[in-house]
Amino acid sequence: MSDALVIKNLNKKFGGLHAVNDVSFTVRENETLALIGPNGAGKTTAFNLIMGFHKPDSGSIKALGHEISGLRPHEVCELGMARTFQVAKPFGGMTVLENVMTGAFLRQPNTNEAREVARESINFLGLSAKENFAARDLTTIDQRRLEMARALATQPKILLLDEVMAGLNPSEVDQAVALVKKLSSRGLTIVIVEHLMRAIMAVAKHMVVLDHGQKIAEGSPDEVIQNPEVVRAYLGSGYVKPQGETNGETNGETHHD
Amino acid sequence: MNKLSLQYKTFVGCLLILMIALPWLITSSFALEILVRILLFAFIGTSWNLLGGYAKQLSLGHVAFFGLGAYTSTLMEINFGISPWIGMVVGGFVGMSASLPIGWLCFRLKGPYFTISTIATANVLMLIFLKFRDFAYGAEGTTIPNLGNAPLMMQFETKTPYYYIVLGLLVISLAITAWIERSRVGYYLIALGEDEDAAEASGVDVVKVKRNIYMLSAFLTGLAGTFYTQYIYFIDPQTAFSFNVSIEAALVSIVGGIGTLWGPVIGTVLLETTTALLQSYLGNSIGGIQLTVYSLILMAVILSRPTGIVGYFKEKFKDRA
Amino acid sequence: MFETILQAVINGLLIGGIYALVSIGVTLIFGVVKIVNFAQGEFVMIGMYLSYYLSTQFGIDPVVSILFSMPILFVVGVLIQHYLIRRVLGLNDLPQIFLTFALSLLIINLSLMFFAANYRTIHTWYSDEAFHFGGVYIPYAKLVSFVLAMVLSGVLWVFLKTTDLGKAMRAASQNRDVAQLMGINPNRVFAVALGIALALAGAAGSLLMPFYPAYPLVGQVFVLMAFVAVVLGTLGNVMGALVASLLMGVAESLGIQFIGADSGLIVVFVLLLATLALKPSGLAGGWRK
Repeated sequence: MSDALVIKNLNKKFGGLHAVNDVSFTVRENETLALIGPNGAGKTTAFNLIMGFHKPDSGSIKALGHEISGLRPHEVCELGMARTFQVAKPFGGMTVLENVMTGAFLRQPNTNEAREVARESINFLGLSAKENFAARDLTTIDQRRLEMARALATQPKILLLDEVMAGLNPSEVDQAVALVKKLSSRGLTIVIVEHLMRAIMAVAKHMVVLDHGQKIAEGSPDEVIQNPEVVRAYLGSGYVKPQGETNGETNGETHHD
Repeated sequence: MNKLSLQYKTFVGCLLILMIALPWLITSSFALEILVRILLFAFIGTSWNLLGGYAKQLSLGHVAFFGLGAYTSTLMEINFGISPWIGMVVGGFVGMSASLPIGWLCFRLKGPYFTISTIATANVLMLIFLKFRDFAYGAEGTTIPNLGNAPLMMQFETKTPYYYIVLGLLVISLAITAWIERSRVGYYLIALGEDEDAAEASGVDVVKVKRNIYMLSAFLTGLAGTFYTQYIYFIDPQTAFSFNVSIEAALVSIVGGIGTLWGPVIGTVLLETTTALLQSYLGNSIGGIQLTVYSLILMAVILSRPTGIVGYFKEKFKDRA
Repeated sequence: MFETILQAVINGLLIGGIYALVSIGVTLIFGVVKIVNFAQGEFVMIGMYLSYYLSTQFGIDPVVSILFSMPILFVVGVLIQHYLIRRVLGLNDLPQIFLTFALSLLIINLSLMFFAANYRTIHTWYSDEAFHFGGVYIPYAKLVSFVLAMVLSGVLWVFLKTTDLGKAMRAASQNRDVAQLMGINPNRVFAVALGIALALAGAAGSLLMPFYPAYPLVGQVFVLMAFVAVVLGTLGNVMGALVASLLMGVAESLGIQFIGADSGLIVVFVLLLATLALKPSGLAGGWRK
């Protein structure tokens, strides 16, 4: 399997803030990578850089073999990468169907075909009953579903999910996890930013941890949660046990101040 | 869904037949004048609506293209004897070309500052045409030589042919808008009007779509400029680049229903008939009354029904369905 | 030659002070309430007419009349915020732009209806007097206006920096949601912002009367200057608006001196277009909307 997304030495500063600091990682095809870290670690900025909303100061981003740093977001989308936004950005005045059709139009210039593709995507996300609802009238969770449906309609090969599970209750989280797994089984490469440990554990075998813009750990979930740097970043140095002891079982969620 | 479509199509068809027959039914020249004005501003409004209504890029400088169209055809006619029919199309292209640098400049700012920069660019054009006498008659402007009845030079003795020309223009712009609404472009316009970032992330080339719709909108507005000049036989910078044209283009769309097909038409009918009524009751003696009324209507619409008349009915209809 | 330039610069600075009052108001409203007040110039006009009537009916000197025009316009600002602006907050651009635009149209045309298009001027004892330094000529009226404009700007600056309400305004301007969480009542803050901005506009109007005519459309000239200054000085940045206004006054004045009498407007537009082309985020390089 080849590399779907290769990030090398990515850097971005905003004024005095070094938001993304020499970050490198690779996502293999059909892999699900979890990008985690405390708030403000630079995860969303990384997504913005990858999708082209900001230009990196230095570093390279290769998606599906193409160098994409410096490309505009729609060009990145055309190449096969789509994202959802942390705070959902639906086209409020349009219906659910129209929203998703906007994404579908990328590959289907014809309106009727776009509608078909959109309907498939809506169905996959379980929104069919609400096809004609105005997007601004949807619940938050449905708006997230809409985000995903719209992103899927662009028929991406790589999907960037930004905190799709925030604020969901446990059964909704299960649904979301099932969804991510289903997407992965369709062949998608997924990079997911999440705070919910049990969700991440369920979907991702590969994790990258950011803190203050820098990558502080990478590996399997088990490796990562035992990494003292990671514990320090989330809980403070008071919780770091000396090497050789495990940190015991983690609960379902991490808490950070 | 199909039943509605058939009803709708029949209605539009009947309306079209009515509009075509209207000059035969109306004898008053004054009424015909008002109709021509309504059709003209409905046309300008519909052209504006493509950019301002669907894509929500609120230009208040569209008169720039109106004026460029007007001057292009006039200069071509007076200096080279070229028919305004050709001049009109060329004028449209001149407006379209102007929209490229103007768009490049103005799209660099967002929201209200985009609006202000469009006003500024239209103003600059007026100042240029006021100051530079040599190529375009300066501040006094010029009249179009009256050739009597000269259809090939877009001059007619009665108002009726003008009515048909501007009706044709309106029908064309409505047809274009209707086509766009159903096609990919329409979805992209609305998407970028709602949220540019989300649109980009969904594969919409926002810069290109904006640029293209601006060009189309500018082209159509340029055609209106030529028509108006031929209709009143006169051009000068204050008229050709009058801010009121920019205002009315936006106003009729907002009042009637921004981003809808019939919004500008309905808005124009409402505003122009109100003006006509006011003029007949109060005469032209009180300066400022027309715009006072317009601004009150605009404020009322903004405060209560920002989606305009059509938007209001659309929402009501959706609730019932 | 040097004297000519110096004179032009001084003229420019003097009028730039007035532009500053208007543009600070615009940028304040934009920064705090996040809307663009298209009608700002009309409040300058109202200030002018107020002073005109106070002067012709009661003999009150225009400069003194700011004691009336400022409070009155402050109240007007609060009312506008409460009854009009509050209704369109949280909606998108369209209602916000066209509301203040409609307000502008309304005020201009009401003025046309009631005052007619005539120019009204006030002639005070100092309207024709001036200081002479070397070869340079500084009219009293303009100097007083400039000094007061700077004083008002300074007072505002101190207010924003030191008082709780001022800080609340700056907080709301930088992050409305967090400010709300901190207990700042946005509507109160917005009302004060509107009030201050309109009071400054009114002051500008009053200070203009000794040497500038009042007529219904007069606001349009000043609001245009103000907008360019706001963009040039970076949206929302009060100091930026001040500096940019002075710069523009000087640029306009130099244009009038060396290019031609009616080139002032062209110079301003060129400045705007150049800013748009080269540095849309303004001199202080802040954020775009």
